[in-house]
Amino acid sequence: MFEAEVNPEDISKAEFVVAIPSYNEADSIAFPVQQADRGIESFLGNRKSVIINCDNNSNDGTKEIFLGIRTNTPKIYISTEPGVKGKGRNFRNLFQKIVDLEAEAVVVVDADLKSITPKWIKHLGEPLFQDFGYVAPLYVRHKYDGTITNSIAYPLTRSLYGRRVRQPIGGDFGFHGKLAKVYLESDTWSEAIANFGIDIWMTTLAMNENVPICQAFMGRPKIHRAKDPGSDLGPMFRQVVGTIFAMMIKFYPFWSQVKWSKPTSIFGFGLGETEMPPPVKVNKETLFQKFQQGFKTCTHAWENLLQKETFNKLREVKKMDADRFDFPTNLWISVLIDFAVGYRDKVWKEDELLDSLIPLYLGKTLSYVKKTERMSVRESEEFIEEECVQFEASKSLLMQCWGKGA
Amino acid sequence: MAKILVVDDEEHIRLLYSEELSEAGYEVITAADGYKLIERIETEKPDLVILDIKMVDYNGLDLLQEIRNKFYNMPVILCTAYDTFKEDIKSIAADFYVIKSFDLTELKKKVATALETHIPSS
Repeated sequence: MFEAEVNPEDISKAEFVVAIPSYNEADSIAFPVQQADRGIESFLGNRKSVIINCDNNSNDGTKEIFLGIRTNTPKIYISTEPGVKGKGRNFRNLFQKIVDLEAEAVVVVDADLKSITPKWIKHLGEPLFQDFGYVAPLYVRHKYDGTITNSIAYPLTRSLYGRRVRQPIGGDFGFHGKLAKVYLESDTWSEAIANFGIDIWMTTLAMNENVPICQAFMGRPKIHRAKDPGSDLGPMFRQVVGTIFAMMIKFYPFWSQVKWSKPTSIFGFGLGETEMPPPVKVNKETLFQKFQQGFKTCTHAWENLLQKETFNKLREVKKMDADRFDFPTNLWISVLIDFAVGYRDKVWKEDELLDSLIPLYLGKTLSYVKKTERMSVRESEEFIEEECVQFEASKSLLMQCWGKGA
Repeated sequence: MAKILVVDDEEHIRLLYSEELSEAGYEVITAADGYKLIERIETEKPDLVILDIKMVDYNGLDLLQEIRNKFYNMPVILCTAYDTFKEDIKSIAADFYVIKSFDLTELKKKVATALETHIPSS
């Protein structure tokens, strides 16, 4: 039987909320719930707290598992209507619940997390009681985990909005209760945001609201169901990148005034030695093939979207064999700028435009993999930082192209 | 004229930075350690802080945390003799870092960029 809300202890007010969005996570949700409960007990025990599972009416027993876990913290289960899916829709229900509960601080963690510890709750939650409005996670990730973050979400968000938030689509983060109302009332909601666009949307709105942001060091790497960057891309890529482009249109008055970038505060130390992440396998051959295939399926779109010079440079990259393959950062920046302008001007059908960016993104990923193959995690981080500086230095090019296209 | 606070326990570094940055058109004030640094910043209101990481009695990365938590948008440039500090996650709270050198070209470039950085109020 469908139940939009199950609130066994009839909780109507809470200071602190840990939220776990889910869809069919029966086999994994128990662990983050238990860790959240321990975190609340150990570090935020003096706060009236609740753990909320915001679910897409899973049919694998997620609700029963969640409600059946023995915790000292009260629990609430909320769900979208039957047949209504999307991570963002779960969050929309959550925002309303936060407003109703009048919660001061909210920590969100992924339901498939295998490496969460109670300290994650402390580190993501405590800064919210110390004047910070948004807490992004800072964890050591394998250099090939999170490639959309590394090559698009982080450098673009940083250069656009001026804050160096390393994991803007981290999935585990904290926000002040007041932001829930901002999110609920925002006029930027879309189908993409209702799905995987939700994380970048929340981070972007927090930046545009100018709330003080800090990054919380988690100590342990994020271990979850990591994906090979060459597979399973479609919807998530479209929703994340589409949301970034859509936000660029909405927040032009803000980002057009941003120059360079600034760091955030860092929270969460004393965790002992940092644990290194498990390796993520990448199939370079697949990345190369998918990049090459793009010239068969997307050439027409690229010719319409890209400036002639950029398209010609792409053709030069195509001629390289796999061993010598290199997708230069400045070419990647030009591609993203042209696609953002094309998205705004509706030069191509939205989904097709975003799909046609995928082979280029895979080419850029292959280039990154090749350049960083012999690098340590720290060295690859420095490589990404250098790319970010190039993104920031290209802001004037973005402004010029954005102005021309309008 | 932008005001720069140089925090370094080596006198010759303070002198060198003061001289060169003054010549470059900045007002420079100095501190020989991290003692009451937050109060000093509150009183003197510098536009930027240049901070030595390794001082005899103070850890520059801890001072950086204090500065960042109190003055969220204050530009801070870390100065160090070695780049091993990058292994410490706290270092990313700095706007920039430079490896100490008698040639201040890189430092001056970073100072100019840090002072140019702008994020509008919403």
